Amino acid sequence: MAEPLQTSTEAPKQEGGFPPFKTETFPSQIFWLVITFAFLFVVLWRVAGPRINGVITSRRGAINSDIAAAEKARGEAEAASAAYQVALAGARARAQGLAEENRQTLNAEIAKAKAAAEAEAAKAMAAADARIAATRVEAKGHVVKAAEEAAIAIVARLTGEAVSPAEAAQAVKES
Amino acid sequence: MAMTLTPMEQFEVKPLAGMDHPLFQIAGHPIYFTNQSLLMVLVVIVASLFLTLTVKPGRLVPTRGQSMAEASYEFVANMIHSATGEDGLKYFPFVFSLFIFVLFSNFLGMVPGSFTVTSQIAVTFALACLVILLVIVVGFMKHGIGFLKLFVPHAPWYLLILLIPIEVISFLTRPISLSVRLFANMLAGHTMLAVFAGFVVALGSAGGIFTGLAIAPMLLIVAIMLLELLVAFLQAYVFAILTCIYLNEALHLHDHH
Repeated sequence: MAEPLQTSTEAPKQEGGFPPFKTETFPSQIFWLVITFAFLFVVLWRVAGPRINGVITSRRGAINSDIAAAEKARGEAEAASAAYQVALAGARARAQGLAEENRQTLNAEIAKAKAAAEAEAAKAMAAADARIAATRVEAKGHVVKAAEEAAIAIVARLTGEAVSPAEAAQAVKES
Repeated sequence: MAMTLTPMEQFEVKPLAGMDHPLFQIAGHPIYFTNQSLLMVLVVIVASLFLTLTVKPGRLVPTRGQSMAEASYEFVANMIHSATGEDGLKYFPFVFSLFIFVLFSNFLGMVPGSFTVTSQIAVTFALACLVILLVIVVGFMKHGIGFLKLFVPHAPWYLLILLIPIEVISFLTRPISLSVRLFANMLAGHTMLAVFAGFVVALGSAGGIFTGLAIAPMLLIVAIMLLELLVAFLQAYVFAILTCIYLNEALHLHDHH
C-alpha cells in the first residue's frame, strides 16, 4: 500500500509505506503513550474519580434524607389528619347533643308556655262564665221586678186595688 | 490533477516542526516529540481538566459540564457493574481511564487538522496488551494456577483435545482483535473522509460543470462526519466493555456459563 508522498517532512525517516506500520515511529509512540496514559490514570484515579464519586454520593444521600424527611412529614400529616377527623367527629357528636338538648329545653318551655296559656284561657273562660251567670241572675232579677211592677199596675188597673210590693212579689214567685 | 490524493498522509507520525532532533534515546531508539505525542498530551490534559474542573464538590444540582462528567463516570461504573458484578468495581479507575483516553482520542481526532491517536496500531495494540496483561495478573492472583481452567470448557475429554487449543488461541488473539478493531475503524473512517475531501478539491478546481458537482462529496463528508462521531463513541465503548468482559472471565472463570 505504497503511495507517493511528495511532502518532504523534516523527520529523518524513510518516505513511503503505510504510516501506521512504520516501526521506527513505535518507540516514540509507546513512550508518549505510557507517559500520557499513566498521567491520565493517576488523575482519574486520585482526583477526578473521587471528586465525581463524592458529588454523586452526597447527592444520593441528600435525596435519600429528603425522601425520609418527606416520608416523616407525610406520616405526621396523616396523623394530624386522623386527629382532625377524630376531633371533627367528637365536635359533631357534641354539637348534635347540644342541639338535642336545646330542642328538648325548647320543647319543655313551649309545653310550659302552652300549659300556662291554656290555664289562663281556662281562667278567663271561667270568669266569663261567672260573669254570664251573674248577668243572667241579674237579668232574671230585673224580669221579676218588672213582673211585680207589671202585676201591681195590672191589678190596680183591673181592680183598682193597691197591691203591696210584697204581695206582688209573693204572687210572682208563686206563678 | 494537481492535488494528489494522499489520504494516508494524515496518519504520518512525524516530529513537530523544529523538534526534529531526538529528545533522548531509549535502548538505542530515538524518542521524538511528534504530532501524535502532542495530541496524546492534549487528550489527557483536556480529559483531566474536563473531568476535574467541571465537578465542584457539594454542588448537588449539576451544571451542564458536571452532568456530562457524572454521566461518563456512571456510564462506565454501570458498564463494569453489569459486566463483572460488584468485585469488578475495583478496576474502575483503569477501565474509566481506558474509556476516557480512547473516547477523547477519537473525538479530538475528529477536529480537522489534528491527529487521531487511536489510528495507530502501536497505540491500540499497546493498550490491548495492557488489558490482557491485567486480565492475566488478576486471573492468577484470584485463582492461582486454577486460572488455567479458563481454557478448559465443560466437555468430554476427547473434545477437550480439540477445544483447549481453540480456547488458548482465542485468548491469545484477543489483544490482536481488540487493537485491530479500534485501529481499523478509526483508520477507515478518517481515510474515507480524506478521500471525499480530495474529491471536493479535485472537482472544485476542475472548473465548469464539475465545480458544481463538488457539492455531492461535500454532503457525503457531512454525513460520514456524523457517522464517525458515532463510531468514535461506539469504539471507545466497545473497547471498554470488552475489557470488562475479559476482566469478568478472569474474576469468575466460566461460572456464568
